Amino acid sequence: MTVVIGVDVGGTFTDLVMRDQLDGRVTVGKVPTTPHDPELGVLNAIDAVLTPEQVSRCSHLLHGTTVGLNALIERRGATVGLITTAGFRDVLEIGRGDRPDPYDLRPRPKDPLVPRRRRVEVAGRMDSHGQVVTPLDLSGIGSIVDRFADESVDAIAVVLMNSYTNPAHEIQIESELRRCGYEGDISLSYRVSGEYREYERTTTTVIDAFVRHRMGPYLRRLRDGLAQRGFRGELLITRSGGGALTVEEALQRPFETILSGPVAGAAATARLAQALMLPLAIPADVGGTSFDTAAIVDGRLPLNFEGEVDGLPLQCPWVDVRSIGAGGGSLAYVDHGGLLRVGPLSAGAAPGPACYQRGGSQATVTDAALALGMLASGELSGGVGLDLSSAHRVLDDLVTSSGLADRIAVAQGIMRIAASHMAEAVRGITVEKGVDIRSATLVAFGGAGPLFASLLALEMDVDTIIVPSNAGNFSAVGLMQSDVSRSAARTLLRPLVPQTLVDVVAVATNLVASFGAATDNDVYELLLDLRYRGQEHSLTVVLPWSVGADTPTVDVIESQFEAEYHAAYNLNLPESVELVNVRVQRHTRLSVSRDAVSAPRWDGAVGMQDRSVWSFTRNEWVLTPVIERASVPDVGMPGPVLIVEQTATTVVDSGFSVRPGEQESLVITRNRGASA
Amino acid sequence: MTILSWMDPAEAVVSSSSKSVSTGIGAAADPITTEIIRQGLNAAAEHMKRTVIRTAFSPIIYEALDFAVALYDADMCMLAQAPTLPSFMGTLGFCVEAAVTAIGGSQVLMPGDVVLYNDPFGTGTHPQDAAMVVPIFALDTLVGYAVIKAHWLDIGGKDPYCTDTVDVFQEGTIFPGVKLYDGGQLVDSIYRMVLANSRIPDAVIGDINAMVAGARSGGAALARIVERYGLDEFRRCVARIYDHGEAMVRHWFEQLPDGEYSASSVIDGDGVVGTPIPFEVTVRVHGSSVTVDYTNAPEQTVGPINSPLPSTVAVSRLAVAYLVGNEAPNEGHFRALEVLTRPGSIFHPVRPAPSFMYGVPSDHAIELIINALASALPDLVPAASGGDICALVWWGSREETGEPWADGAPHPVGLGASPQGDGASTMMFHSESATRFTPAEIWEARNPWIIEQCALAQDSGGVGKHRGGLGLNLSFRVIEDCYITVAIARTKLRPWGLQGGGEGRPNDLVIEYPDGRTESHSLTTRVTLPKGTLVHLRTGSGGGHGSPAQREISSVRRDLTEEYISLEHVATHYPHAL
Repeated sequence: MTVVIGVDVGGTFTDLVMRDQLDGRVTVGKVPTTPHDPELGVLNAIDAVLTPEQVSRCSHLLHGTTVGLNALIERRGATVGLITTAGFRDVLEIGRGDRPDPYDLRPRPKDPLVPRRRRVEVAGRMDSHGQVVTPLDLSGIGSIVDRFADESVDAIAVVLMNSYTNPAHEIQIESELRRCGYEGDISLSYRVSGEYREYERTTTTVIDAFVRHRMGPYLRRLRDGLAQRGFRGELLITRSGGGALTVEEALQRPFETILSGPVAGAAATARLAQALMLPLAIPADVGGTSFDTAAIVDGRLPLNFEGEVDGLPLQCPWVDVRSIGAGGGSLAYVDHGGLLRVGPLSAGAAPGPACYQRGGSQATVTDAALALGMLASGELSGGVGLDLSSAHRVLDDLVTSSGLADRIAVAQGIMRIAASHMAEAVRGITVEKGVDIRSATLVAFGGAGPLFASLLALEMDVDTIIVPSNAGNFSAVGLMQSDVSRSAARTLLRPLVPQTLVDVVAVATNLVASFGAATDNDVYELLLDLRYRGQEHSLTVVLPWSVGADTPTVDVIESQFEAEYHAAYNLNLPESVELVNVRVQRHTRLSVSRDAVSAPRWDGAVGMQDRSVWSFTRNEWVLTPVIERASVPDVGMPGPVLIVEQTATTVVDSGFSVRPGEQESLVITRNRGASA
Repeated sequence: MTILSWMDPAEAVVSSSSKSVSTGIGAAADPITTEIIRQGLNAAAEHMKRTVIRTAFSPIIYEALDFAVALYDADMCMLAQAPTLPSFMGTLGFCVEAAVTAIGGSQVLMPGDVVLYNDPFGTGTHPQDAAMVVPIFALDTLVGYAVIKAHWLDIGGKDPYCTDTVDVFQEGTIFPGVKLYDGGQLVDSIYRMVLANSRIPDAVIGDINAMVAGARSGGAALARIVERYGLDEFRRCVARIYDHGEAMVRHWFEQLPDGEYSASSVIDGDGVVGTPIPFEVTVRVHGSSVTVDYTNAPEQTVGPINSPLPSTVAVSRLAVAYLVGNEAPNEGHFRALEVLTRPGSIFHPVRPAPSFMYGVPSDHAIELIINALASALPDLVPAASGGDICALVWWGSREETGEPWADGAPHPVGLGASPQGDGASTMMFHSESATRFTPAEIWEARNPWIIEQCALAQDSGGVGKHRGGLGLNLSFRVIEDCYITVAIARTKLRPWGLQGGGEGRPNDLVIEYPDGRTESHSLTTRVTLPKGTLVHLRTGSGGGHGSPAQREISSVRRDLTEEYISLEHVATHYPHAL
């Protein structure tokens, strides 16, 4: 069992990375995504890259999927029936009263995931302390089961008021549904979320019921297809909150996979940051349509617990990766006020940038980069030829309206504005975390990340950029190194006093019991959402813990909270500290080597001539050598230089130097004080 | 001095528009650097907003987003504002100007100062909306101001929330521009004054800290931009940013057909004197300029439904932005819009007029301005909504601990139908469109309540080819003795339909006492609620658009299946679908 596979299904391409430990080789592959039957794309990628013998030696296949996300966005999922507390049937539809666009006079909300006729009420009420105010009335459950059968309901969601503090009524409804003969899926809100805020918990529970119907068949088809190919290893599905779920767990808790799309790149950055001991690492993952970034402090993945997808809230841990519409395909235009703007609209894969010659007629970031000489090879990965005259034509279209001197000025503007969008996104995250952006190490990857390396460093005022090995496939490489993770949460509104910590241990132990069998490689974390009494928003403090152990003392927890609060907000308050939520995570490290994954050798740069490339630091064209990645000398070299590899081009501008670093990375450094 | 105001003695009319005029220096600015600085300023305002949300204590700030943040330049022109409460759009300039003038002018400001200002005639609202004005220094120069205005749950006044005040002095303690921080040091005497004048000082302390933290983060961001580009280039680019904003707005205004458009409506009453108050608004479009004219407005009222000038100007900008388009606004956006008011009227009250319920006329004006343009823009203008934020404010002392508590929130209404389709149900009114409705579980965890119902109101939407959005039925059972102030407008005027559409239901609140007595309220201060009382809020719905006879049969049947309407309602209004 010496082969590990990572497969990431994107909107356009399904990427596969395979590492064979027999020879240490890594192979990458890319096939078109098959949106209607995504498992076919995954299986096609395996057929294209692996021999049957390698498939049979595969120990783990780590898989990032958008099936759950697409089910939601396309509103194609289970026919869900919703049981609520009497008086609260409309919570799902009423929502929070805000509009996606506050300046929209005529908002047209999407239909709720469960129409009103399939939302039914049951009498019975808990108060916020978990005390029964009105006893549960189960007499109507039989007729609800009949009614749902008439409506062809295939999944029932049960969300009762204040069940986060006492789930007894939800559990009784579940048993009664079974007693009345209902055999389909049941999602109870306290199991799915366990946190307070009834609209958010209702939506999360309904989403769980809704997407399970699509995820289940998908995962089973994939598992069967793999088995037919002789796969005997373990299939793991990536989680929104980092790490991966076993396929059995993913079938049980499909909503935990929905926001997993951009996680792999951040997780790979976090592991690189751990290996290189970077105090603050910022991933700059630039693809065709989006820029994804995060703030990774001390190698730790930033977690958030209030997610959102397609306008619907999701109470589920997710790695706090921010996406903005800035990438190689971002469209440039001149607005009615005469300013050049870039994005957030993208030319996407079709028609794509004008230089692809597939019908794109509006300038994009890629067209600008090509015109500035930044794309060395004249072609992108996948063999797309790039046509300089098409790029020139669309850039020329913007010269007059923008008031800029010529197409080269337009191209520079597009690159600088795109880089500034990215820098502002990063700055926003660092301000929220209370960390100084200038102390960050930028980790540039994705198809276009290394292209922006120097420009981003200038916009962000950062001195060090790392371009990791396999830069164009770094996310997929990251998949291969995932842990198997589980997490669960419960709202427990209490003052932070010694007795509360006794309750915390009891709650945490209960939550862990829901995770299933433990292994010797398990690492536990206890996360407490804490706040000053009177506040609403909380700050999550991560504590070491293991099953059976006590928590640290109140003093220790409080001082950690005070320190982290001060770091984030630059102040502390005299109020006492209050507990809001208890969260537990379990990470199981796979028996997979964490060594750097070597890039495949590539000699596409052989024979490339020096070329004229626009320098943003010198503001002029500069004759720039083009070398392949493996040729960067150990002692390093000064910019300008273009460094090419199979899936990316790294631009090192004048005023920067580059050298090989640990983990087969490239380290680019800004020469402070040197004349550019 | 953001707004240029002058008095014409002959007509006693005040014209308000942006004082910023194009100087031409923007032409020399590099367009790329201009766009980068523009993004940076908008991002800085956004960071201020996030900092406030994450650190605030009161749900009215962190959930209801009842606050606004903006950055101003040294001339008190608006550089950027984050989208929070739309009706605060552009009002913060009045606060900056008034606060700095009060303190003795910009020359007395130093780094680390925080000026507290809450005079309603400068904030445009009521004393509970307190502004913090922070001067920003970079390169040893005053380069601008960070401003945050937020709703404090209580800062004195005759009651925590008032609908019956007869002068401004009853409404709260006024801080007319005083230093809360002096050179970075907290001014203890002022701080103690603030706390001594609040019924719930703990929440106010927390919110003050959140506002200061937010303003400082914005200040740091602006200073960084100025330091990076230098004063000269910064000023050139800012001039160009304003010119750009003006050009964007003029481009939108040019699409409006020239002409004079009026609409009139009736306010329920002023909270003190019960008589209805008719009023009208006129909109004039000429080329790329728009004037909103309130000079025919009624005299300022005895009760507190007066909208101080900054709010009148802000809602006029908002109404027009709703119709023609909007993006992150700056001072240039305000150049093409003029607002005419008459001092002494409800849209330009003079001291000491009460203004606690300033939103009653100003929110009403938003829909009236939009409705005035219905004939000019038939494809864009929807029927009326519930038309109000339906605010309720509650307070008391907890039975077990004796601790004081207070909470207050706006509530959603149905929106009007439009030529594009049915109105949305249960949305916050336009002036608070970014505000979020508080979850019942949060309420129950904080307050002595059991929420017994939170439901869409069947049959409430105005009938029509397109149906009005449904109102909300919300019932609170109080489980300890407490007080409520009911601040609900548009309880008599039914939301109008358009082009043959029917009217919606107006707002209403009914108190059902433990002894079975019931009372209806709209503007009532400090009603005593004994333990066990039920409070039923029934928010208004949207008006319909087009004749109900033209409604698609399939739409009627869907509404019936989903129980948005009853069979009886179909028989009465949509017989063609039976």
